[in-house]
Amino acid sequence: MLNPAPILIYVLIYGSIYLLASLGFSIICGVLRIFHLGYEYVYALTVYLTWMFIFEFGLELPLALALMILGQFLFAFLLYKGIIVRYFEREEYLLTAVILVAYIVDEAINYRYPVTVGASLPTVLLRGTTNIGGVNVSNQLLIIIVVALLLTVAFAIFFLKSRIGMAMCAVSQNVLSARYCGVDTDKLFALAFILSTIPAIICVVLIAPIWSIEPSMGWPLLSTAILISVLGGLGNLKGCIVASYIIGFVYSIVAYLLDPRYISLAGLLVTLVLLLFKPTGLVRAETIW
Amino acid sequence: MVTIELKRARLVIYCRNLKFEWTIDPRYWRNPLIGVLILMLALLSCYFFKNLRFLQLFAIANVYAAIAICLSWSAIGSGRLNFGPQFFIALGGFTAGLLNMRYGFDIFGTLAGAILITLAVGFLLSPLTIISGGLYYSLTTLIIPLILLQITYVRVDIFGGESGIGPIAPLVNVGDYYLNQLITGMFSLVLLLAYLLIVDRIFKSRYGVIMGAINEDEEVAASLGVRINAYKIVSAAIPAAMLGITGWFFAHSFRTFAGTTYLPLDVMLKILLITMIGGRASIYGSVLGAYFVTLIEDFLRQFGQINYVLFPLTLLLCLLFLSEGLWGLYRKRKYREYYPAIRIRRR
Repeated sequence: MLNPAPILIYVLIYGSIYLLASLGFSIICGVLRIFHLGYEYVYALTVYLTWMFIFEFGLELPLALALMILGQFLFAFLLYKGIIVRYFEREEYLLTAVILVAYIVDEAINYRYPVTVGASLPTVLLRGTTNIGGVNVSNQLLIIIVVALLLTVAFAIFFLKSRIGMAMCAVSQNVLSARYCGVDTDKLFALAFILSTIPAIICVVLIAPIWSIEPSMGWPLLSTAILISVLGGLGNLKGCIVASYIIGFVYSIVAYLLDPRYISLAGLLVTLVLLLFKPTGLVRAETIW
Repeated sequence: MVTIELKRARLVIYCRNLKFEWTIDPRYWRNPLIGVLILMLALLSCYFFKNLRFLQLFAIANVYAAIAICLSWSAIGSGRLNFGPQFFIALGGFTAGLLNMRYGFDIFGTLAGAILITLAVGFLLSPLTIISGGLYYSLTTLIIPLILLQITYVRVDIFGGESGIGPIAPLVNVGDYYLNQLITGMFSLVLLLAYLLIVDRIFKSRYGVIMGAINEDEEVAASLGVRINAYKIVSAAIPAAMLGITGWFFAHSFRTFAGTTYLPLDVMLKILLITMIGGRASIYGSVLGAYFVTLIEDFLRQFGQINYVLFPLTLLLCLLFLSEGLWGLYRKRKYREYYPAIRIRRR
């Protein structure tokens, strides 16, 4: 008899982790209408910048985290001004340039802190485990579920209720019309680009104690973020939420019933099949929300 | 009596009653034999100076250029940017390796097998060029090699996992190691020149004009009576088979073939960079780009571990400062380019 409890719990856990990992990526896709294949650098930079501030400069964790977030914002701004603005109209150049930036960041981290350094973050919020339906689940993982849902709600409120959020929605629907209505699209794009780093930063900070930490740790996360973004409909946050839990479901069911080695393959196949039948994804990417 | 005069951009040499002229500016050198001669001399000089490293580097550069040429044809012909050319390279390589190791096919048999399989799979996947467009096509083609990569990890018994399959029969074996490498290098050059010639002729033919029309506006091209679907299918399937041949070449020249070497994202990135740094989808630029990227990568290795940072940094700088690529420095005037835009942004 199949026990649905572990599957359901891991659907929630995987879905929430991947929702956090892909939310920022979808925001960039939705507002800027670019495919930021270099988004991978955010994951690795989160861990290693914090690690550097703690272990090289001897700072406390909260201060190190605050400085890391500032560093990420600054880097995102420079990337936007240096590359995104320059190649806004030449997407193939833009995609190539941002992947190169991600490689440079990865390799620079790997040069300074190779895998043998054993970087880790002491960001456990709640120790111990909880038994749910006969399954012992780490409390840290349960926190990830709550944080993912809260952050998604916060972003939804931001896009629906705040002035800047609504302007971003307008830009995601039609850049030219938004510009005619007086929206400063350049500033808005820069802001969206910076804001997009937040979900990935939170994701990595929360999963760091239980995840494999290495300079190229972001590529599997980015691959899943791409799958989710494509599956959900490029840049639509509703689609992104649904797709995250679909991918979570596929991963859980395949890991539970078949073999954990097949999870990536199953995710890729589901996305490919869906793309063949519904080339624009689950939700049409006409607006970010 | 020999007199040499410099007249504008020409060097004029008078020898008794004879007059020879040589245009100094290389952009006016129109004889393709000069290019072929340079590439051939590069390989021969490596052989005579026993420089194995450069002999192998030039061979790899030739094959990378051939791959970039196929990618350019596929991109221009279908009006879409293929992000997964490495899928067909791997398919060709694995077909050649498996046919040779499991069924004892010789190199000609594996070549036929690699062409047939990649052509068939290319044909089967070609409807993607009709179903999906723009970024969705790019992403679908990005996913396909990753699926094959996952399959190579899962079916270690067939694809050998991370270590790959081997030993595969060598491409050539004449007893002398250096001569083997020279023949392999010459073979790569023949492959490159054949691809260059075929694709150049196609681009300059009526078919090339139609490809330009498809790139410009598919709907307008269709309304003018162009059977765009047929052209897109041909542009997807035939370059796939050509890429399969390069996979076959890799499998037999290195005698081993692993999915981890050819299928990851960085292989696609390198091929994409060759087309961009060489010159946006310019097939002659692909040759320049392939040699440039391969030589830069090798040159930077001397700096140790930091070369992994310096290599992408150098390529990024090239991308930023060579807006028209290396071919843009050479050509006389900017001609109209047909190259598919990914078109993800609504303006």
